[in-house]
Amino acid sequence: MTDSILLSIILFAPFIGAAVLIFVSNRQALLVRQIAVVSSGVSFVASFILLFVFDWEKGGYQFQQKYVWSEQLGIQFYLGVDGIGVPMVLASAILLFAGVFISWHITDRIKEFYAFLLVLAGATIGVYVSLDLFFLYFFYEMSVIPMYPLLGIWGSHTKGYLEMTTPEQQAQRDSPGFILNFGRNSKEYAAMKLTLFLSAGAVMALMGILLIYKFSGLNTFDIPLLAEQGHFDGTLATVIWLLCFFGFASIAPLWPLHSWSPVGHAAAPAATSMLHAGVLMKLGHFSIIRTCFQILPDQTRDLMVIAAVLCVGSILYGGYVAYHARDTKYIIGYSSSSHMGYVFLGMAALDYISLTGAVLYMFAHALATGMLFAMAGWVYDQTHTRDIPSLGGLMTKMPFVSGCFIVACMASIGMPGTVNFVAEVMIVLGSWTAYPVQTIIAVLGIVLTMAYLFRMMRGLFYGQLSELGRHAHDTRTWHDRLPLLIMIACSVAFGIMPGLLLDVIRSGVDPILSRIIEVVPMVTQAGGALVP
Amino acid sequence: MTFDLQLSLSDLLLMLPELWMTLWICVVLCVDFLLPRLSQRTIAALSVSGLGVVLCVLLGYYALGTHGLLFKGMFVLDGLALFFKIFVVVSAMLVLLASMDYVERFRLFKSEYYFLVMLAALGMMFMASANDLLSVFVTLEFSTFGFYVLVAYLRDDLRSSEAGLKFFLLGIFAAALLVYGISLVYGETGTFIFPDIAAGDADLTPGLVVGWLLIFAALGFKIGAVPLHSWIPDTYQGAPTPVTAYLSIAPKGAAFAILLRIFFSTLIVFKPQWVWLMIGTAILSMLYGNIVAIAQKNIKRMLAYSGIAQIGNILIGMAAGTQMGAEAVLFYLLTYLFANIGAFAVIIAFSQTSRSDEIEDYSGLNRRSPFLAFSMLIFLLSLAGVPPLAGFIGKIYLFAAAIKEELYSVLVVALVSIVIAMYYYIIVIKKMYISEPDDPTPIPVPGALQAVIYVSLAGTLLLGIWPQPFMTFSVAVAAGLLP
Repeated sequence: MTDSILLSIILFAPFIGAAVLIFVSNRQALLVRQIAVVSSGVSFVASFILLFVFDWEKGGYQFQQKYVWSEQLGIQFYLGVDGIGVPMVLASAILLFAGVFISWHITDRIKEFYAFLLVLAGATIGVYVSLDLFFLYFFYEMSVIPMYPLLGIWGSHTKGYLEMTTPEQQAQRDSPGFILNFGRNSKEYAAMKLTLFLSAGAVMALMGILLIYKFSGLNTFDIPLLAEQGHFDGTLATVIWLLCFFGFASIAPLWPLHSWSPVGHAAAPAATSMLHAGVLMKLGHFSIIRTCFQILPDQTRDLMVIAAVLCVGSILYGGYVAYHARDTKYIIGYSSSSHMGYVFLGMAALDYISLTGAVLYMFAHALATGMLFAMAGWVYDQTHTRDIPSLGGLMTKMPFVSGCFIVACMASIGMPGTVNFVAEVMIVLGSWTAYPVQTIIAVLGIVLTMAYLFRMMRGLFYGQLSELGRHAHDTRTWHDRLPLLIMIACSVAFGIMPGLLLDVIRSGVDPILSRIIEVVPMVTQAGGALVP
Repeated sequence: MTFDLQLSLSDLLLMLPELWMTLWICVVLCVDFLLPRLSQRTIAALSVSGLGVVLCVLLGYYALGTHGLLFKGMFVLDGLALFFKIFVVVSAMLVLLASMDYVERFRLFKSEYYFLVMLAALGMMFMASANDLLSVFVTLEFSTFGFYVLVAYLRDDLRSSEAGLKFFLLGIFAAALLVYGISLVYGETGTFIFPDIAAGDADLTPGLVVGWLLIFAALGFKIGAVPLHSWIPDTYQGAPTPVTAYLSIAPKGAAFAILLRIFFSTLIVFKPQWVWLMIGTAILSMLYGNIVAIAQKNIKRMLAYSGIAQIGNILIGMAAGTQMGAEAVLFYLLTYLFANIGAFAVIIAFSQTSRSDEIEDYSGLNRRSPFLAFSMLIFLLSLAGVPPLAGFIGKIYLFAAAIKEELYSVLVVALVSIVIAMYYYIIVIKKMYISEPDDPTPIPVPGALQAVIYVSLAGTLLLGIWPQPFMTFSVAVAAGLLP
């Protein structure tokens, strides 16, 4: 297994694509798109192969590759996936491939756009396949930076910002107090806020990683080795845990560290929002599992209750704001940050079913929110507004997009038949014994999700056709429709056959959780049911 | 005291790079006034080729492991000296190449410019080999004299004259501090030679403390650490840009050679005492440099303040006071060399067309010259410490050295200042990529500058993606440093 280069192919294809793009002229738009399609397509195909080749009965880290990168610092370029990494790699590759097609209409500096997008997705995949803390951080930090130009150049201002045209308001726009003017931000402001917020979180996590490096005494960043041999006690362990948890939770984003995220989503172009909400935010959960859960299991048992408390804030606050927002991307952005609360609940319960559900939910949410952002982007491109009250009746103009949008909403609220349903049920079932109150709130949160998503659907597609929608048209070409169909197909396929992913995820969750709670791991019964 | 200097020819081989350099400087100067019709580009090519020969000799010495002492221990050739000589020669070569088009702006003395750059390089090569306090003083002043002239080279430009004057006055002041410090140390120990001072195990008397503090202050002036940084912003802004690039790299590197010899080889027994000095300067430099850089409107000034902050970062490695700390200092200097020279090369290329160094004028650079904008992006991100670029690995190396010595205070400040630094580097990126240009004419990049930018890009990416050979180099060089 050690000589398999499958992970390298998945990881490096986007980077190679980005490097090749540097040498292509912006005038050859078709060539640029072709290169992006090919390099993301290689990752896409290879990650499906990864899912099917991954041996879940054996479990553990597979497809490992290990090279010494720096002897002095004890850094290894150590790739490998376990059951938690596989679905996330798959989600990243699907969203990248879809995102390349979603961005087909971009004409301004197209090669730079695709290069940044490929680097963003490649770095995200890099985090999911790194088994060395240094490279986990390396790719983590690397994924943050391309967001700035992607938002700043190809993003869009909010409606509130554009409406501030009088000289008075323009002066206000540049004043420091303007920071508190929610919903009226420029894309530059959103991009800077996102970058600084995530950098601040990253350096916090870096401090934790450096402390792990120092006090393990092993002179290594090797995660499996640290998990096995590193022992941390007392206050030091608590400090490391808190640094890693809050450092990574800021990208997750856990309430009250979420404020960069909806602003960033709203400013970003469609493909970036998709990757951002779909897989970039899950870097937080994933890194918390890799650091806190794996290296500091005892502290996780004691301290994960913090997440259980804060996730209520995420679920309720995100849902509440989404219900009152008028901007489509704000609604989807806040709904994402609300749904990330479910993942934290599933993780906090420290239960086999709920943690498996949480990982599955990360995958499911990536697809659902990816679809929503893709179609919100389409509506925005056609009507040049995201303001719901000034839209309506688009069903007649774009039946295909409307249909897909309804499917995406259904997926997002967890309709049976989509993979979100399976994941939500597992989270709720698993957390019930540990946190009944939070579980009830989470179920109520689903109702809230229905309320705001249905309201957005009604506002966009039903009712009277508005003036702005008059010249809108539906997706016409195969490259507009393909990404939507891919995401829907994946969401439904894994919803009908969740076993494909569940076995894989369980093989990753079991060894991690068995070190935290002393319970006999679950076994699969003849009918595929889970019993303790 | 009898004076007997016995030198054999083989001993002088240790000084071969310096001797060759001296000869070549004379050749360049003579060629210039003997053949007045020769274009300055030819002179530049002549200078660069001479430096190329020196670089080959130095690399050969490194490969052969040549080492030795000369003049009763005043001149030392060891790994550290070779490292810094290579460092100085590479930066001088890149600066000469980057200057070729800029020199057209000078009305007089075009070719003497190259002579002065090489003269300063020669002084700094001697600095790297200085093994006693007297040669520290002589070589330091020798290298600075070249810079006094170079900084004020734009004779009609008030800012350049101001920069020259400021640099000169404060430089002389620092030199006075240095001499006074040396005299105090000599009075307490009775010797100038570093190994003898280290072997003398004197107590830390007040005279010795004040003496070493004054020497540190003079060197702190060279590297521009807070609170001895006040000349940096004005001098950087006023000096001709290639000189600024040179000034921001080479003298700092050479001064670190001396700092490493003094604090790591000579004074390591007093580490518990001086570590606070390093921590204090590091924290002040990082905070002051990064916070003040936010407010800058001129890109040279911004890089000046960011340079102060970078020096603060390097001082973290000094504060660690270990083998690993020394390696991290050397490695970080390499990453800083490429990123900084590259950034200044972009500034030179940009100002050739626009005649401006204001950050505001960088608006829409991506539309005017995608190559320049992309290069600047890479260099600034490397300075900010973003993976997969050189600066990131350099910072991690420094932090790893510091955390092993449990220097938490300085680490927390360093991590916070990364976030602050991100802000002002990104402001420039925002101008280049997001803002639209006022004047959309493309910016041509001359061949020599292109070469410099390509070399810097290659260095920045290579050190970031495959740092192992360079780390091995730093480790080998720092091996004999601590007793």
